[in-house]
Amino acid sequence: MVTLAELAEPKHTVTWCPGCGDFAILVALKQALVKAGREPHQTVVVSGIGCSGKLPHFIKTYGFEGLHGRSLPAASAIKMANHALTVVDVGGDGDGYGIGMGHFIHTCRRNIDFTYIVHNNQIYGLTTGQTSPTSEKGFKTKSTPEGVLEEPVNPMALAISAGATFVARGFSGNLPHLADLMCQGIQHKGFAIIDVLQPCVTFNKLNTYEYFVKKVYKLDESNHDASDKTAALAKAEEWAEKIPIGVLYKVSKPTYEDGTPQLKEGPLVKQSLKRDVGALLAEFE
Amino acid sequence: MRINDVTLKVGGEAGSGILTVGHMFAKLMQKSGLQVFLTNDYPSLIKGGHNTITVRANPQRIYALTAGIDILIALDKKTVQEHYRELREGGALIYDSGKLKEEDVKLERPDVRKIGVPLSKIATEAGGDIFFNQAAMGAMLALLKMDLAKYDHMIEKAFGRKGADIVAKNKQVVRAGADHVRTNYPDPFGINVNPVQTDARNLLINGNDALCSGAVAAGVHLVAEYPMSPSSSVLHWMAAHAVKYNIVVKHTEDEIAAMNWLCGAGFAGVRCLTATSGGGFSLMNEALGNAGIAEIPCVIINDMRCGPSTGLPTYTEQADLRFALHASQGEFPRIVAMPGDAQEAFWMMVDVFNMADLVQTPAIVLMDKYVAESVTTIPSIKAEQVRIDRGLLQTDAQMAEAANFKRHALTPSGISPRCIPGQKNGIHVCSSYEHDETGYTSEEASMRIAQIDKRERKMRAISPLLYQPAFFGDQSSDLLVVSWGSSKGPVMEALKLLAAKGKSVRYMHIRYACPFAADTISAALKRAKKSLIIEGNSEGQMRNFIREKTGLLIPELYRRYDGRPFEAEEVAAVIEERLLK
Ligand SMILES: Cc1ncc(C[n+]2csc(CCOP(=O)(O)OP(=O)(O)O)c2C)c(N)n1
Ligand code: SF4
Repeated sequence: MVTLAELAEPKHTVTWCPGCGDFAILVALKQALVKAGREPHQTVVVSGIGCSGKLPHFIKTYGFEGLHGRSLPAASAIKMANHALTVVDVGGDGDGYGIGMGHFIHTCRRNIDFTYIVHNNQIYGLTTGQTSPTSEKGFKTKSTPEGVLEEPVNPMALAISAGATFVARGFSGNLPHLADLMCQGIQHKGFAIIDVLQPCVTFNKLNTYEYFVKKVYKLDESNHDASDKTAALAKAEEWAEKIPIGVLYKVSKPTYEDGTPQLKEGPLVKQSLKRDVGALLAEFE
Repeated sequence: MRINDVTLKVGGEAGSGILTVGHMFAKLMQKSGLQVFLTNDYPSLIKGGHNTITVRANPQRIYALTAGIDILIALDKKTVQEHYRELREGGALIYDSGKLKEEDVKLERPDVRKIGVPLSKIATEAGGDIFFNQAAMGAMLALLKMDLAKYDHMIEKAFGRKGADIVAKNKQVVRAGADHVRTNYPDPFGINVNPVQTDARNLLINGNDALCSGAVAAGVHLVAEYPMSPSSSVLHWMAAHAVKYNIVVKHTEDEIAAMNWLCGAGFAGVRCLTATSGGGFSLMNEALGNAGIAEIPCVIINDMRCGPSTGLPTYTEQADLRFALHASQGEFPRIVAMPGDAQEAFWMMVDVFNMADLVQTPAIVLMDKYVAESVTTIPSIKAEQVRIDRGLLQTDAQMAEAANFKRHALTPSGISPRCIPGQKNGIHVCSSYEHDETGYTSEEASMRIAQIDKRERKMRAISPLLYQPAFFGDQSSDLLVVSWGSSKGPVMEALKLLAAKGKSVRYMHIRYACPFAADTISAALKRAKKSLIIEGNSEGQMRNFIREKTGLLIPELYRRYDGRPFEAEEVAAVIEERLLK
């Protein structure tokens, strides 16, 4: 059985700012992988570029640190190439909901079996504090000194309506709850999206720990029915005095892999490359 | 009387189904033991607009079309008036006498035989427009004095699944078309086709299908693509064969996704492929660099069409050479292959998959609309010669023994053993950042230099035998023609035309830009007293590239960038004018 110690990567110095919400996400992910019993060499943590994107270096599993906004296509392909792997994709809100928004919606539609964790700090961290698609209206940043004019995107509502089968929100300030959500996401058969309220202590002075501690409440302590899509969408719209955390929506549907008979004989990567070329060419004779 | 050498052109509105007649005729000619070359010319429209398909059949291998046609099947007035002058002396115009009026087929060429056949009437009587093509085939077969039995056999094969009734109807329509010609136009036509008995089992295939077949033979397991002319048929062919060969074929949300799928799939260890044209290739650039720095093998087909931007979507060009060589920021090794015909397309596809695995880097296959979509007969491919070599990809057993594994180890060859997720003892991060030997981000100056040098060094591991140019024509001649990619066909045909006049030159067809056979190419240029390069772009991109790599400037440049392929006669005339005079 995999242990937390095995997942530690002591050689690599964690480069996040002290107090950053990313630390809790890292710890929660390790705990979730241990709880779900996923072996490090059979796990791939995929990321885009951002502060969040550094995470694969801080955990001892296989990692793929791709391009800003493009982690979802890479993660999808890794899973399709070898569906025996556990694939967890991590990224920022700019990464997933800004530059990568197109991939986000289409990945929700597809229901490939992997987990997507978004470090949603409502700001661009690595590029030192510009507005993000989830920044609140009126929020002043380096790129919006007069305040953001646009409405923020609602990733939970988008994910539910685009067809994601596991849609949840966690909070970096509640580690046990977050780890449990991640474990559920990893164990869910299909595409699981977990949006994590992740305070950026350096560049976001609005959406702080204090801001969220006052607002968040746990869905599993309310009487929310996560199988009810309408109720889930209503919860996704809640973002004022109270912000729900937990599983907003969960439904069981066939995965993309289930609909792909090419995978019946086992992971693609294990299949032979040899084909009957003579028979193949006969169609041109 | 000419035997077994005939060129057919069919023209009509886009969407009128004329392509079918051309393809059926090509198949029949292949089955009759002849060699075939088929090409199409069509606008970027689904309905309306002017479409033509041209097929030449002849006992010798055909690399490109030559000027002139023998039979023109015209579905509309526009086809008649735009193309009848291409008919050779005594050629025939077959038209729908029910639809075209006398004045529509008024010609200034009394030698042309006008053959009116009530094509649509015959089709309607048999049950509908879909039989139109068969009526036209019947008329043509009668003209060429062909025995209908061979064609009957093709009909049985093609429509057998649909039932005996459909087969019978098709045959009946062919006979109606044929009978009309035999009865009303009994005079002999100057050309006959007599089937040739041959043991040679050739293939009738277009460039894209040859690339697909090569990829399947090479063991491709994942294809991610977004449709774009003229590469879409790669997606269609692969999708149609996906379940049979266990290939995951994904029509992704865009080309950015497609290329990032390749990065993921290549990293995970499967052979993977995408196909696109210039616009999509532009979108793939960032991820191409990711594959470069992270040492991920993958293959990208760029079927060139006229750029820039949307350009001329359904016309051909060779103007992305510089783009392919430099696409994406920074410096990293890449393979750039330029097959000149379907046969090369098959084998070079197999080779680039092996090269990509060997040097762990992306490979770009530059084709263009002309080769991608032209259908030709090529000699049968010896399947047993296909070799799959995955380079230093480690087996599970090797990794079970591994200790202190460094994915980007600085080896003398530059090539590091590669492991994939799922294997024990190989955990690392595959990163788009510059990294140290383990894959961990490194911005240290010496490591940066070491990793750039390592990646650059890898290319030397590719055997020079694989990327040499091909030489044709008279090897002792000191007159040299140079070209690359799809210009090969017209040059090969031009050599035949020159040979018929007792003239010859040496011809060098460049197949790879990366790795580049600079020594061979330089030696060939130095040996030549006069040289000429022919390419389908306005800047002379290969000419400039050769100069960059060898310091030699080919004095004569002949270009075409009107979207049309070179014609054999045109090339022959240029060679005569610039080299032989
Ligand atoms: C194509 C491209 N454009 C821009 C960048 C620069 N860039 C790096 S990270 C980033 C945004 C970071 O914000 P977010 O995705 O929210 O992640 P965070 O750093 O907050 O975790 C940007 C714009 C890039 N790497 N690639
Ligand atoms: S900038 Fe913000 S998100 Fe990035 S490490 Fe620092 S606190 Fe975390």
